[in-house]
Order: sequence, then structure tokens, then C-alpha cells
Amino acid sequence: MELSFEVMLGGWIATGLTLFILSFLYEDNPLFKLAEHLYVGVSLGYTIVKTYDTVVMTLILRPILEKGEWSLLVPVVIGTLMLTRYVPKAAWLSRYAFAFIVGVGAGLAIPRTISSFILKQIEDTVRPLLTLVPGEGVTFTYSLLNPASNLNGIIILIGVVSVLFYFFFSVEHSGPGKMVARAGIVFLMISFGAAFGYTVMARMSLLIGRLTDLIEFSDASYGRPTLWLSLLTIGTLIWLSRRSGAHPPER
Amino acid sequence: MTFAERMLRIDRRIIFLVIGLCTLFPLLFPVGLPIRISSEVRGVFDYIDNLPEGSVFLLSLDFDPASKPELYPQAIAILRHAFHKNVRVIAMTLWVSGTGLADSIVSQTAKEAGKENGKDYVFLGWSPGGSAVILNMGQDLYTAFPADYGGKATKGMPVLAGVQNLRDVTYAVSLGAGNPGVEAWYVFGKDKYKFELGGGCTGVMAPGLYPLLRSGQINGLIGGLRGAAEYETLIGQKGKAVAGMDAQSATHLAIIVLVAICNVFYFTMRRQQRRQERMGS
Repeated sequence: MELSFEVMLGGWIATGLTLFILSFLYEDNPLFKLAEHLYVGVSLGYTIVKTYDTVVMTLILRPILEKGEWSLLVPVVIGTLMLTRYVPKAAWLSRYAFAFIVGVGAGLAIPRTISSFILKQIEDTVRPLLTLVPGEGVTFTYSLLNPASNLNGIIILIGVVSVLFYFFFSVEHSGPGKMVARAGIVFLMISFGAAFGYTVMARMSLLIGRLTDLIEFSDASYGRPTLWLSLLTIGTLIWLSRRSGAHPPER
Repeated sequence: MTFAERMLRIDRRIIFLVIGLCTLFPLLFPVGLPIRISSEVRGVFDYIDNLPEGSVFLLSLDFDPASKPELYPQAIAILRHAFHKNVRVIAMTLWVSGTGLADSIVSQTAKEAGKENGKDYVFLGWSPGGSAVILNMGQDLYTAFPADYGGKATKGMPVLAGVQNLRDVTYAVSLGAGNPGVEAWYVFGKDKYKFELGGGCTGVMAPGLYPLLRSGQINGLIGGLRGAAEYETLIGQKGKAVAGMDAQSATHLAIIVLVAICNVFYFTMRRQQRRQERMGS
């Protein structure tokens, strides 16, 4: 299949930048710096252009000029007040803009966050340790794989209480208290382990993603950029390491 | 220097090489290890599978190219499933840096499924405000997005017929790589406007979202590349995620072996040091 010039060029750029970034695993080098600076510059430039196009053009100028929605000038003025930070004599005006943002933000976020992350989670933590099934009487379910089982309810209860006790520093952790605090540490360690395991999985996924693309771009239809740019990267690393060997850094 | 000491001071680049090779070989020569479907991924799949034809499905692609390897396969699999079920798809993003990627995902999948822009699906693009956009959409979708990504007016689009705000959405899924993402969609969306919500996220975020899953705040969770592979298996269209699972298993095995070996060397060295101390005293 014949690929367009843009697709091929994209393949070469993606391959080159991937290899340049991966070259950091060997040692810090100018190729890595080039790719790093390009990443920062391109992502910032993209964000600025998209924000300008969406906010200034689509959401402000067009509605005002085409539909006469002059009320939009109110948020525009409040937003513009923020820029007065750069004029020392008028900087006090920016406080009105910040006060508006902080007030609205806190007003919107606080009740919703309390409802979602505190009340709902407490509601879920306080679960019956035994279940009353009509016709069967009081039952106890043991399945560890079922999050709603009574056994998991007990584990969560012990976990929540022991971890909360571990972070309760007004009482000395000795005697039975020490045992509860130790149990809290165990629960915390299990939680950190699970989080770290997922983090490793995520990082490996990123590596798999890059290697999958490198394999795809090693195809002849792209002109084998993976092969040529790998040679270029390795060659540059060898040249750089020889050059730094010939001129050892001053101590 | 003993063997254990030498091994513990091994050049880290050798470990990078081992991990790199463990990733590369299974990608070049796949084994096809079985993939078990978890209940959290099935939660999202079942809900979409049971949506009646013409229902309104909202997909928020809240990520940028940095999370592409994990969330791109999830987005592709979910969109393929939704288009197959003939539901009306409203796609959008809360991340400005992910707008181009989200657009390419939606248009590519729609083209594959033979769907028409504006009639079967719409990509709304990005709107400023982060979580506030969700609240804005909850009041009036057309104020938050007066035009779609291509600049066409959203009012009057056949795909949005009968949709005024988030209360008219049957099911929403946020594929989030951070904030705003799944949590924001729950806090400012589902909790207030009462639609069903599912989530997809990067592996790093998954442990933090499990409490929402258990409490029923979200009805399913697709976690990382593994979750994407499970979804691809469920829809019967194996893609990039399934292809990466062998490599994922191989690297995990390599890391477990390295951790075990390092521990053996560490304890061997400690025992030798203690023995030397005893002999010295």
C-alpha cells in the first residue's frame, strides 16, 4: 500500500523522537535534550493555539459579532482583570477576578466533593457484617472475590479502623493499640503495593506502546525509519561518548 | 568483592536492556496467553451491550498523547462496540492537548463503521473550564458546545435530537488520564444529573478509582492496557491491547524474577557481613 508523504513524514518524526527520548536510558545526551525541548515547545504551542481558537474566536468573538451576545463581555472583563497583575499600579484589580474564581470554584466543589468522596464512601464502608435473607435467616458470605460479601465487609472495617488509628497520634501506640497500629501499617503496605504494581503495569504499557510503533515503522512502506534512525542514534551516542572520553570533564 | 555485591552493583543499563528485550520479543513473536475478563470491565461492556438502538452514549476522551498506549485501545474498542450497537455517540474531551488525538480516534472508528458525522455521531471537541464544562453541559449542552469540532452548529443536529443536557444522556464513559477525568464526571456529572457512568483510566489511576466502583458510583472500570485487552476480547476484535498482553506478562515476570534475585543477593550479603562481624569480634 502506497502511503502519503504526510503519513511517512509523521512516521519518521515519531520514530526519531521516540529513539532520541529512549537514548536517555544509556546516558543524558543532546539528542534527548532536542526531543525533550521539542516536546515541551510543541505541546505548549498546540495548547495556546487551540485555546485561542476555541476561547477567543469560537466562544467570544463569533457570538458577539455574529449574534450580538454582548453579555459575554462580563466574563471577558473579569478575565482581563487577571492580566492587571503585570501592571504593578493596577495589580489590585486582579484580586476581584481571583475572588470570583475562588468563590465560584469553592462553592461548586465543596458540597459536591463532600457528597461524593466523604458521604458516599462512608455509606459504602458502613455495611452490614451479616445479611438477613428472607426464608434463610441470617447468613454470612465468604467470597473474597465478591466485593459485596460479608467477609470483605469485615476486612474493610478492620482496615479502615486500624489505618485511622495509625494516624491518630494523640494516643501512644503501645499494648493493644500497638497491635491495631501495626495492622494499619499492614493495610497501608498492601495498598502501596497494589498502587506500585499498577504503576509498573502502566509504565510497561507505555514502553509496549512505543515499541509497537517502532515495529510498525520498521516496515518498508515507511522507508524503514526505525532501522535508519536507530543506526543514527547509536552512531551519535558512540561518537558523543568517544568525544567526551577524549576531553574528560574538568574536576 | 563477592558475587552478590557485584550483582547488586550491576549497571542499571543492563536491567533496562533485559526489560527492553522482554518487551520486544513477545511483540515480535506473540504467544497468545489467555485473557481473563474481570467483572469491572464486563460492567462497562454489558451496559453498552444492553443499550437500546438510538440511545444517547457520551464518551469523554479525557487524555492526551502521553497516555495513548493505554487509553487509545480502550477508546477504539468502546467506540467500535457503541457504533456496532447503533447508539448515538457524543464524543468530547476535557483535555485541550488531547483534542487532535480524540478527533482522529472518533473519525477513524466512525469511518470504519460507516457512520455519518452529525447524524450518527458528533465530536464536540474541547471547551474551556475543566470540571465546570460538565456542570455547564448539565444545564445546557448547547451553551457549553455551541459548535462541534468542525465548526458546525450543534443545535439542530440529528444526532442530538431530544438532547438538551446531561439528563438526556443514557450512559456516559470517561476515559481519563488525570484530572479532569472519571472523578470529575462523577462529582459534577452523575451525582448531580443522575445518568449512569462508567470509567476507563491509566493503570496508575486504577487503584484510586476502585473505591468508586465498589460503592456503585461508577458501574464499571477499564484499567490500563490490561482493561483494554479485556474489552477487545469481549467485542471479539483483537487489537493493539491484546497484542501487548504477552509483552506485559513477560515484563512483569522479568521484574518479579529481578526483585526475587535482588532479595536473595541482599540477604546473602547481609549474612556474610554478620558472619564477618562475628569473626572480627
